[in-house]
Amino acid sequence: MTSIDNIGVQVQAVHGNVRPILNEVLHALDKLIDNNETTIIDLAGLPFGPGELDVLEETLGKGELSAQLDALGSSRIQETTYPGVWWIEHRNAHDEVVGRYLEITRIPEILSSQDADICAGRVSLGEQFE
Amino acid sequence: MDLLEFARGPALQWAAYILVAGTIWRIVGIVLLEKKPDYSEPRKSGGYPAAIKVIWTRAFTAEPFAKATLYPKMMAYVMHIGLFAVIFLFTPHIVFFEGWTGFDWPGLPNSVIFFIGVATLVSGVALLVRRLTNPVLKLISNFDDYFSWFVTLLPVVTGLLIPVRALFRYEDLLAIHILSVALLLIWLPFGKLGHTFLVFVTRGTTGMVFERRGAKT
Amino acid sequence: MKNKPTVGEILQAKGVSRRGFLKYCATTASLLALPPAMIPRIAKAIESARRPSVIWLSFQECTGCTESLTRSAAPTVEGLIFDAISLDYHHTLQAASGDQAEAARHAAMEENEGGYLVLVDGSIPMGNPGFSTIAGISNYDMLMETVAGAAAVVSIGTCAAFGGIPGANPNPTGAVSVGDLVKDKPIINVPGCPPIPMVMTAVLTQFLTFGQLPEVDKYGRPLAFFGQTIHDRCYRRPFYEQGKFANTFDDEGAKAGWCLYKLGCKGPTTYNACATVKWNQGTSFPIESGHPCLGCSEPDFWDKGGFYEPLSTGNFGSGAKVAGAAAAGVALGAVAAVAGRRRQAKYTKEA
Repeated sequence: MTSIDNIGVQVQAVHGNVRPILNEVLHALDKLIDNNETTIIDLAGLPFGPGELDVLEETLGKGELSAQLDALGSSRIQETTYPGVWWIEHRNAHDEVVGRYLEITRIPEILSSQDADICAGRVSLGEQFE
Repeated sequence: MDLLEFARGPALQWAAYILVAGTIWRIVGIVLLEKKPDYSEPRKSGGYPAAIKVIWTRAFTAEPFAKATLYPKMMAYVMHIGLFAVIFLFTPHIVFFEGWTGFDWPGLPNSVIFFIGVATLVSGVALLVRRLTNPVLKLISNFDDYFSWFVTLLPVVTGLLIPVRALFRYEDLLAIHILSVALLLIWLPFGKLGHTFLVFVTRGTTGMVFERRGAKT
Repeated sequence: MKNKPTVGEILQAKGVSRRGFLKYCATTASLLALPPAMIPRIAKAIESARRPSVIWLSFQECTGCTESLTRSAAPTVEGLIFDAISLDYHHTLQAASGDQAEAARHAAMEENEGGYLVLVDGSIPMGNPGFSTIAGISNYDMLMETVAGAAAVVSIGTCAAFGGIPGANPNPTGAVSVGDLVKDKPIINVPGCPPIPMVMTAVLTQFLTFGQLPEVDKYGRPLAFFGQTIHDRCYRRPFYEQGKFANTFDDEGAKAGWCLYKLGCKGPTTYNACATVKWNQGTSFPIESGHPCLGCSEPDFWDKGGFYEPLSTGNFGSGAKVAGAAAAGVALGAVAAVAGRRRQAKYTKEA
């Protein structure tokens, strides 16, 4: 509908960030295997070119597990085709992305039930019997 | 006004005025000199063809000196061609000349320019080392030789350092680079760097004089 | 300040789960450009942080900075930061006006003596106090009175930080920056025209989280966001190195998204986070949209030559002056020649 799409712009792709990030993921996997060490890569601070983030996401692909979290807006926690490499995307209530991370771990911390929430839940369940 | 604005503005302007005034001063001063009367019979007709011939032949070393001067000659060629390339084929410089003359031409990739810049610097240092170690050269060298060397290579050094972000901020080093160029432009007409515009005049004159005397050119 | 609830308590009262809180801390770390390893520390700090009072003063400005800030992806996650901040005075956003508004400002100042933050957008006219007043109070008087009891001052936007457009040549109002007037308080400059909303939020979050102001560069700008140039973080940088440039706004180079250096991009001399943080919820930034950087977060960017003049262009002065220099050269050359002839004549005679 918009005429802006008709402008013949062919942006030359720049994907200079993809390889270094994949390399970092590779090293992070080594650390996970050898020392059980978790690595979080914050994708917000990197100078991505147009479409580059999509290339990274496509390269990593979608694995077996995907979870959605609803807390202060939705979040997508997706294991990539490479087990142990998780793509985490936090959104706010307006569905705008507010954070993007690659977490190299067995299970992202945010998926575990949190002690504070467990205690609060215990209290509220207990109240139903009193 | 910060340092960069000073460098790009007043410093460059005054350097340009001094360069123009100084160059014309030198040329007019030479052209208007009285020619010494030569009462001797010319051996050969000489004239401008002789001048052009020597301008060309002096680009190469005469046979007897070929071996002895091969090294400095090569270094000098590397330095001069290198200077030409880094000055006129680096895109930001082309943009600079375009802003001044309105003309623009294709440049070389930065990595190539960086390599040429390093080669230029190395050849310049090699020539200085030779000047300092060769007893004859050392004896005939004066302040002009050393200072001309310094002001020529200072912009090369400051230019090469600009991409090294770890040490300097871009705008500070750019300002220092432009100031070093201003220094070069100011000194250029007055010292031995005057050969920039006098080289072919002096060579041609030598050719005409030698031809007239029948010397081998 | 003791009676104020902590941020942790505010979040709890809002029914935010621990997972939500962790998400909040992760995005805060991202916002502050801190490594994710810092998240546990941030969580601890935020839980016990107390709600600071903020007074926002608007002087010679266009309200663009406020527009930018209120359009940051505010709701929920970062929005909580603003719920966690007590914005006690902002004459564009507050409901109160006139005497009531001024009373609110005075009340906040008294209540939080020594602990509140003053945010300023706009420059201060020193030419004549009447150039810009609020409730009959000159900008200068209001600034000095408000700043006296503040913990710190944050200059929002290029006008407050460096004088900006009002301070541009010929500066008709005698506009000056906050830093020109306030000397005895810590000042953080968040320049930009407007500043990136995330950066404004980040500075406030940093203060809220750690109770301290961020590390700054020589212009008082937070290093986390102004530590690197646009050029150094630009995704088009490889084209600069390869010598691939757009020569006009509609040539093949422009369409292919090549480097905009020749079109006057000020990226190499501009320190800001546009290339990574980006604008409009991370959509893009000017260079990505095909326009060179104007350098709006640098001091006096209005007076630093044309926006479309390449950075390496020199200012050569007038042709008349060059011609004058040439004429002077001719005269000097003539004098030198005459002197030379005399010397020649003298030697000839002696010989």
